[in-house]
Amino acid sequence: MAEKSPVKEAASSESVPISNSVQLKPSPQFSAKFTTPTPPNSDVPSTPTNRPPPVDADVIHVPSYSRWFSWDKIDSCESRFLPEFFDGRSPSKGPSLYMYYRNSIIKLFRENPSRKITFTDARRNLVGDVGSIRRVFDFLDHWGLINYSASSALSKPSKDTASNIKSSDSPSLESPSTAAPTPKQSSTSRRFCGACKSLCTIACFVCDKYDSTLCARCYVRGNFRVGLSNADFRRVEISDEANADWSEKETLLLLEATMHYGDDWKKVAQHVGGRTEKDCVAHFVKLPFGEEYLGHPLLDDAESGFETNKRVRLTPLSDASNPIMAQAAFLSALAGVEIAEAAAQAAVNILSKVDDTTASRGDNGSLERNSRQEISSNGDTNQNASERAYADANSQLNKEEEDIGRAITEITEVQMKEIQDKILRFEEMDLLVEKERQQLESMKNLLFIDQLNLSFRRN
Amino acid sequence: MKSPASASWKAPLKFRMPTAENLIPIRLDIEVDGQRYKDAFTWNPYDPDSELVMFAKRTVKDLKLAPGFLPQIVQSIQSQLATFQSYEGQDMYVGDKIVPIKLDLRVNHTVIRDQFLWDLNNFDSDPEEFARTLCKDLGIEDPEVGPAIALAIREQLYEIAIQNVTSARENRINKKGRRAAEHFPISKASGAALDLMKLFSFRSSVVRKRKEWDNYKPILDLLSNEDVDALEAKEERSGR
Repeated sequence: MAEKSPVKEAASSESVPISNSVQLKPSPQFSAKFTTPTPPNSDVPSTPTNRPPPVDADVIHVPSYSRWFSWDKIDSCESRFLPEFFDGRSPSKGPSLYMYYRNSIIKLFRENPSRKITFTDARRNLVGDVGSIRRVFDFLDHWGLINYSASSALSKPSKDTASNIKSSDSPSLESPSTAAPTPKQSSTSRRFCGACKSLCTIACFVCDKYDSTLCARCYVRGNFRVGLSNADFRRVEISDEANADWSEKETLLLLEATMHYGDDWKKVAQHVGGRTEKDCVAHFVKLPFGEEYLGHPLLDDAESGFETNKRVRLTPLSDASNPIMAQAAFLSALAGVEIAEAAAQAAVNILSKVDDTTASRGDNGSLERNSRQEISSNGDTNQNASERAYADANSQLNKEEEDIGRAITEITEVQMKEIQDKILRFEEMDLLVEKERQQLESMKNLLFIDQLNLSFRRN
Repeated sequence: MKSPASASWKAPLKFRMPTAENLIPIRLDIEVDGQRYKDAFTWNPYDPDSELVMFAKRTVKDLKLAPGFLPQIVQSIQSQLATFQSYEGQDMYVGDKIVPIKLDLRVNHTVIRDQFLWDLNNFDSDPEEFARTLCKDLGIEDPEVGPAIALAIREQLYEIAIQNVTSARENRINKKGRRAAEHFPISKASGAALDLMKLFSFRSSVVRKRKEWDNYKPILDLLSNEDVDALEAKEERSGR
């Protein structure tokens, strides 16, 4: 039963443009050793094995929200999104099968990271039913573990360095907030359909069994996971929610825009997209960090001057001509107070540890001042951290003083001991000399007696 | 659906693929506007229909086929699915049947020939796992061979299952008694099934005879480009 390779798609006369890498195998292979089936004219694949990669294809970009990925482990979000492999319904469809699919697809992509792999490439190379492979592929695609190249990932315009750094992190803010809350059904953020990844506007359908959300279109089309039926979904209206909530993505855009454009709310509204100027202004005013810097109730009529104040306070170190500090301040303002506090505390701890080894008081003091500066720029709630650090430095200073005092007293004691010894020795010498004198005196007396005797006898 | 191995006659089971996953092999061979698309893969018949449409769309997009392919692909898959579903409600008998499965495939540059025995009663069997292991053991580097092997196994199992269904139907039509029906699954075997009793009786040993060793060994060949081209041309000519 000779079967033609089921993969061959060669047309008769017209060539079908096939993106399948397997088709391009020019080099004849006579030996039994097979080279890996990547086309030789592609870049040297940057596989995770020890093949020497070229410099530019060395780095595989993975978005920060997919940091959980590891070759050997299965993360909880994977089991959430692809329950078919993990619920034990079918004995052969288990986590090991899922890992085989996932790792093979990712390896396949990483062999040639500059090229996007298509689902057809992936399913051709994997043993299994195409439905499950497609779901794994879609999952990996959505989380950026495959087909994620830097140019296509960032959808927001990135204008300067601060927002560049921010925007590479921004998918971390928005994607988990869209991906994660949709299974968790949080009431605040926007609902994204789990199947077609589009925004749910009017109504969405929620399945409680599997914690998935579908937009109305997908629900009607029946585009849900295998094993669910229409009855499992319940309808949730979100027509009012959509306009009220500001997603993190929009907040981020707003902040970026304010940084660039300042008072020009028209441009800010454009940048945010989908919100009127008034909405932008109102939301910006309501943002939490504003109050820390202001300390007084917000007034709507003093907007413009107020906004400049806010902007200045948003980047308190921006005029310190230190772009790093500006970015740090901006990041910490946006990351939230507690996170910034924890980060600053950790930084201070490690810095102080590093400086313990050098054991220089001056360095400690200046470092403490620097770190205090950094901390204080993040708001009053970090007061505790700075106070603590200040107290630590103080105690260290005191300790040094004590050490020095002790050393001095020891030195003086030693010297006094020396003097005492000398005195003792002199006293002894004195005694000796005294004794000699007495002996001499007695000898003198004896001599005198002898002389008397002699003179007496003569006479 | 595990049935005790001792009984040779079992209650008729609902038709399904005798594997752990009830997946069916789908083969496509569509020609539109001079473009020919041949493909074969495994499909889960319980996926919703929307899955089918999405799959077809992606395939057309990924392979940059003409849009006229889309309805044809959908139709073809649907008809094969319908065939499967038409069998689904019916009964099939599975006796103690161990069938030889033969592989004779050419996938790109790899030619593989193999023969092995498969237990039809084992509803936990997994052709995919078998294909993966086979490729790994033989050191096949072409990743497309695995799916082709799994598919070939599934197709053969599917055929045998269909034959079982038809034989069950004939039994009912003939209205033979229960006792007679006992022998049917065994004697009416498609000729390829082996009799367990004869094979594993105490007189003969379980170890295969030496002269049969070569039959049951996998043979793997790697072809050069010219061979591949020659074979392809020959197949196309024979196919026309």
